[in-house]
Amino acid sequence: MFQVILSTQWKWARLPLLLATIAAFTIPVLSVQGAGGSQIQGAMAFRVLAAMENWAVWYPLLAAAIGLLLAVTAWGPDHRQGHSYALSLPLPRWQYAMLRLGAGFVLLAAPAVGIALGSVLASATATVPLGLTAYPAALAIRFTLAAILAFSIFFAIAGGSTRTAGYVLAAMAALLIGHRLLGGGAIDIDVVGPILERLYDFRGPLGIFGGRWMLIDV
Amino acid sequence: MSDAIKTQGMWYRAGPDFELHDVSMSVPTGSVYGFLGPNGAGKTTTIRLLLGLHRADRGDISLLDRDVPKDMPDILQRTAYVPETPHLYPSLTVAEAVRYHGAFYKAWDESWTDELFDRFSLPPNQRISKLSKGESGKLLMLLALAQRPELLVLDEPTEGLDPIVRRDILGTLLDYVSEQGATVLISSHLVHELERICDWVGLMDQGRLISEMPMQQFKNGIKRLRIIDPPGTYDNTPFEVLAREPVNGGVPGEMILVQGWSADMAGYFSGVGASLREVVDLDLEDGFVEMLRAYRAG
Repeated sequence: MFQVILSTQWKWARLPLLLATIAAFTIPVLSVQGAGGSQIQGAMAFRVLAAMENWAVWYPLLAAAIGLLLAVTAWGPDHRQGHSYALSLPLPRWQYAMLRLGAGFVLLAAPAVGIALGSVLASATATVPLGLTAYPAALAIRFTLAAILAFSIFFAIAGGSTRTAGYVLAAMAALLIGHRLLGGGAIDIDVVGPILERLYDFRGPLGIFGGRWMLIDV
Repeated sequence: MSDAIKTQGMWYRAGPDFELHDVSMSVPTGSVYGFLGPNGAGKTTTIRLLLGLHRADRGDISLLDRDVPKDMPDILQRTAYVPETPHLYPSLTVAEAVRYHGAFYKAWDESWTDELFDRFSLPPNQRISKLSKGESGKLLMLLALAQRPELLVLDEPTEGLDPIVRRDILGTLLDYVSEQGATVLISSHLVHELERICDWVGLMDQGRLISEMPMQQFKNGIKRLRIIDPPGTYDNTPFEVLAREPVNGGVPGEMILVQGWSADMAGYFSGVGASLREVVDLDLEDGFVEMLRAYRAG
């Protein structure tokens, strides 16, 4: 049963997943190239760190995009059919959802391997200046965990009804509009800032997306 | 005889303009039950309620002696469903769709799947989105039959198909039913088609099940009678009067539509000072139309 679920999800997601895997492989390689590649030993450490920081934003963005892509492709065909096929299959709904979730986790292995190989290759081909260290394994693990988290969140939202997704989007829109109105008026209250801070704080639920995403760091 | 499908007092509001009212239906085990009704009568909604795709607001539903929706996985393991609109994933090929579907059913029959593939001449590598209407219908029937179900719920399975494909599909279905003794609930607009294959019939209109009975009783028991010197009212009749109407063309008397008629009831009319002049047989379609008309006239 799991095998056929996995094969359908693979079929629906394979092309964008392949592109995402190539991107996951390429970003660490390009970040090192941006810092001077094998000529890195001649560069100042701060130049290396600056180059790493330039690329750092792409890791969490890519992890979130992969999570979104896999969640949308996992539920999209069922949504388009009004879930009538899935609901007419002889298994409990929670089990069906778990199978789709599990298949998504398996597919996440592709970009995880992509970033692991890219990071190891980039670290191996670069000479890291004294005082700095390459963290290929940590970066790959962090990227994988972030992608798993993003996929789980988007999967839960996408798996609900259109109304549920609408409520989530409406809540986010209301937050942003409230922030804008209050910020532009006489009362200067920052609504979004503290919430984002809570979410992205290293103890917060989205903490893994915050902080420094550096292949080479102090 | 037990019932493969039984609903008791089933209510469901599908929107501001439509509601199923107190639907109590019984589909005997081993029967082929034709589910008739005009567009928008509530047939598809009823079927979706039976299969747990909607939740009834009130009432009890059981399929194969199990409760809906509590025992749905077990029920669906033994029940095949062919929806009105194909619901398979359009990006899969026919072979992929068959492999996918078969993985969920314990009684899935591989060798029969191969046989049905040949019988229906389905192209295994064709995408579902590219299948013709006839091929889609055949594929849905293949998936339903290869499950080896005890109960088949078919919602307009031959709608829009040409007569040859219809014959292929229904012929294969009847072969299966006669071999396995399975129960079939089939909804259709094609009244003549149901007349040929069904042994029970249920009529639905405006969200209500207005009648259900064995097909033979329906065909034999619904008649149009021409009565001379009709009484003001028909009281204490051994049959049910569904409608009264004058005879056209200046012919004396009136026509009445009756249900539950048999020849030995003719004596009733002389007892009320009337005389029975003519008994007109109705085929299923005429009976269906007349019953609807009588029901709507109140």
